[in-house]
Amino acid sequence: MAILSGALTVRRFLVVGDVPEGFRDTYRDRLNEYAFVEPPIEKGKEPTEGWCQVHNLLDTEFDDFDRWLHMPYAMFSLRTDKKALPAKLLTATVRKKCDEWCQERGVERCPASVKSEIKEQLETEWLARTLPRVATTDCVWNIDGGYLLLHSLSEGVADRFRKRFFQTFGLKLIPASPLDWIEAEVADELVGSAPSMPEVSE
Amino acid sequence: MSEGRPILPHQAAEFYTWLWWSSERNEGVFDLGDPLGRVDVWVDERLAFRTPGDSKVTAVLTGDNPSATLEARAALAGGKVLEELRLGIRRDDREYAITLKGAPMHFTRLKLPQVLLEGEDSVIYDRMHLYEEVESVIGALFRQFAGVRSEGDWESTTLQHIRKWILAAEDE
Repeated sequence: MAILSGALTVRRFLVVGDVPEGFRDTYRDRLNEYAFVEPPIEKGKEPTEGWCQVHNLLDTEFDDFDRWLHMPYAMFSLRTDKKALPAKLLTATVRKKCDEWCQERGVERCPASVKSEIKEQLETEWLARTLPRVATTDCVWNIDGGYLLLHSLSEGVADRFRKRFFQTFGLKLIPASPLDWIEAEVADELVGSAPSMPEVSE
Repeated sequence: MSEGRPILPHQAAEFYTWLWWSSERNEGVFDLGDPLGRVDVWVDERLAFRTPGDSKVTAVLTGDNPSATLEARAALAGGKVLEELRLGIRRDDREYAITLKGAPMHFTRLKLPQVLLEGEDSVIYDRMHLYEEVESVIGALFRQFAGVRSEGDWESTTLQHIRKWILAAEDE
């Protein structure tokens, strides 16, 4: 709930597209549809993501407007769960299992197909008992103002967020430019101007 | 509007330098017109520089009042450009601190004045009101810069003043 307390570090987006009539109910349903769903425990390494409330990452229901919609602001969070295995330990264990396989059969080399099978089996076993790393990224969307603040500067997070946002609301997020603060005519002049500061060192 | 306006690295660097120079020249006082009026803006505890054409920070100055150090303007004199600028902003009795970062001018480590916690509704409205005030100030400062930058005498007048100010650090 970084957006509600402490210092803000935000990436600004313009929200492009038409907000439908009766958007409250539509957006509530869409958030519920694309909310985070707890994956089965045996889920592999692929990340799982979806919307949750900014107050509690375990709260994934948007039926109560008072918890996420304070007009003109909508607040929600993208939760991303990802499981990761300790790579060095996995490699060493695979090697040990391959050695055991060779000893049992009195051979020197373990075929690649067997090694791959051992690795796959180990990964499945270990992933089933591994808890995911959980990340949440808050946003505030000014629905009337047509802008959104994402509480992260990571490019990867921004890309995933934009994709999920478009899937959910059918609206595009365009990175805000400082040129948005000025009139189009002046912006065009600035776009056409060459850099002038490096000349200072001449 | 499908792709938005471009984000140009050199414009942010030029704006940061102009703002630093202007705040020293105006003793931190900016008249931003209606509805903002008079706002105090000063360079605070962090300056980060990069080499032109690269986005990686190559020098960082922190601590109390780093903009007053010889190293700060010497970095500009040496051909580096600003990549991050920490500002203090005061409007009426509200004081903010913010670091503008990179070409998109991301708002980072934005410290808002303390708001009274009286329920969530109030917190979000207060914080967003304060955020929007800061964005209005930065937007107005950028508009002032853009006005000066797009004038025909930018190179012959303003840039010359900035150049003298930068090089003066070497004589101090």
